[in-house]
Amino acid sequence: MDSGDFLSILKERGQLPGAAEATQAVAQNGAPGMHTEGTTILALRYRDGVLVAGDRRATAGNVVVYDRAAKVLSVDDRSVLALSGSPANAYEIARLLEISFQHYRRTQLQELSLDGRLRTLSRLLRDNLPMAMQGIGAVVPIYITHEKDGPQAGGRIYFYDVLGANFETVDFCTTGSGSPIIRGALYFLNRWERPFVERDEAEALRLVLQMLETAAEFDTATGGFKSTAAIYPQVMRVTGDGITDICEADLATHYAHLQVGG
Amino acid sequence: MLDEPYRWVEAIRNRREYLADQLEGASPVVGVCYTDGVLLLTSTPGPRKVFEVYNQVAFAGVGHPADIEKLRKAIIDIAHVEAFNLSASDVSLQRLVAFGLGPLMKAAFDEIFRSPHIARVIVTELDPSDPLETFYTIDADGSFSPSGAAAAVAGTVDSAAAILAYLKGRDGSGESLTDALARALDAWAVGRVFAAREADKSSEDDEVAPTTQDDLATAVRDALVSGRIEAAVLDRRMPKKTKFRLLPAADIEGALARFR
Repeated sequence: MDSGDFLSILKERGQLPGAAEATQAVAQNGAPGMHTEGTTILALRYRDGVLVAGDRRATAGNVVVYDRAAKVLSVDDRSVLALSGSPANAYEIARLLEISFQHYRRTQLQELSLDGRLRTLSRLLRDNLPMAMQGIGAVVPIYITHEKDGPQAGGRIYFYDVLGANFETVDFCTTGSGSPIIRGALYFLNRWERPFVERDEAEALRLVLQMLETAAEFDTATGGFKSTAAIYPQVMRVTGDGITDICEADLATHYAHLQVGG
Repeated sequence: MLDEPYRWVEAIRNRREYLADQLEGASPVVGVCYTDGVLLLTSTPGPRKVFEVYNQVAFAGVGHPADIEKLRKAIIDIAHVEAFNLSASDVSLQRLVAFGLGPLMKAAFDEIFRSPHIARVIVTELDPSDPLETFYTIDADGSFSPSGAAAAVAGTVDSAAAILAYLKGRDGSGESLTDALARALDAWAVGRVFAAREADKSSEDDEVAPTTQDDLATAVRDALVSGRIEAAVLDRRMPKKTKFRLLPAADIEGALARFR
């Protein structure tokens, strides 16, 4: 029976990016001196759904490689992947995930279940393990979705480790090199100030922007807001109405309110 | 045995006859353009016959349901592997047919000791680079041909030709979906009636009698008794990447109402 598994089709045809070959090449030639990495990504549940944000900086060692990297990618009409780690592998994983979900929906004439989607991402991370073990291709994603119905209805946040294990988080999740800096602050604010799920979008969004600025202050691999170069973080809202980008004009308004000049 | 050229030709001829016999009673699929996109329409006793292949590509077929499924799966696989290896914008109907489905159906047809695909296929792309390649029809032997404003596959080649003759001269510009549905449904009924009369002919030389509005109405009513009318569009107004939309029964009802 056809299972609608796109990854198996690529493997059968020998067209899946070869983690094994890459590992062999690294073993023979040694790992390249520099690879791009470093990030702060953040997802938090607020009153209407989930806000997902990422800074825009990509670094290689102490070098800033790029200041407009996209780390929050929509996978389908209801889910988003926020990526920290090696961009080359992260983008490939996001791309494979998006095409796998489309392929399943079109061949099987039904949507892949949430558990099926989580499992697909686990398999991709598992396939990436040799690269992660070489220290050149680790990817640590957060998967955010808004389910329409069923026992898992509503906004959901799942994070993964490099081995592919996934965990659901209730209130917020942050990964990447800047995440340890803001994790404690997020916990404190959610527990003793006001739970994030009670906050409206404007309040939640300002908190997200403040957290990214805080991470950028202490982590050189996280880029902050730069008004002079018009570099804004990426922020998406994932709600029952689907996925929408929060535009730069709106972000500028909130930065002005927060008196962050950039 | 098949080393002899005559035996080979005979085997192929038998195969063509077998396919013609198997496909003879199939309900046509009609494809037409309208202002906002492309429409595919057919009737079915139950199983779906019109499907999404990729963001801007749709597929429908007549024939054996298992073979239609095989071909549908094959073209979806090809499209998605292509999208993965290259990009979504490199998935084009012309390449899917010329390098994918056409050769696949031809290979199955040529393998004398295996069953061919008992199917004729119509595929369509929204806004292709060449407007004359909006549709492709592929016969069971793998031969394919493009067309611009309309296309049809049916149980017989002549009934498909009758549908195209009915649709000739209209390119769908300025036409609403409601009007396109009515036109496609009429064309479908023309093909259905033509095929029935063709089957009733006592000799090859007999002319097929002209079709009246009552004939069309009867064909549609018969289809509704034994099944349902199925239609889907590739709609360029859809705000998503995927432009395919299977029309709900309520949307088709307007075109059916005059026949009830």
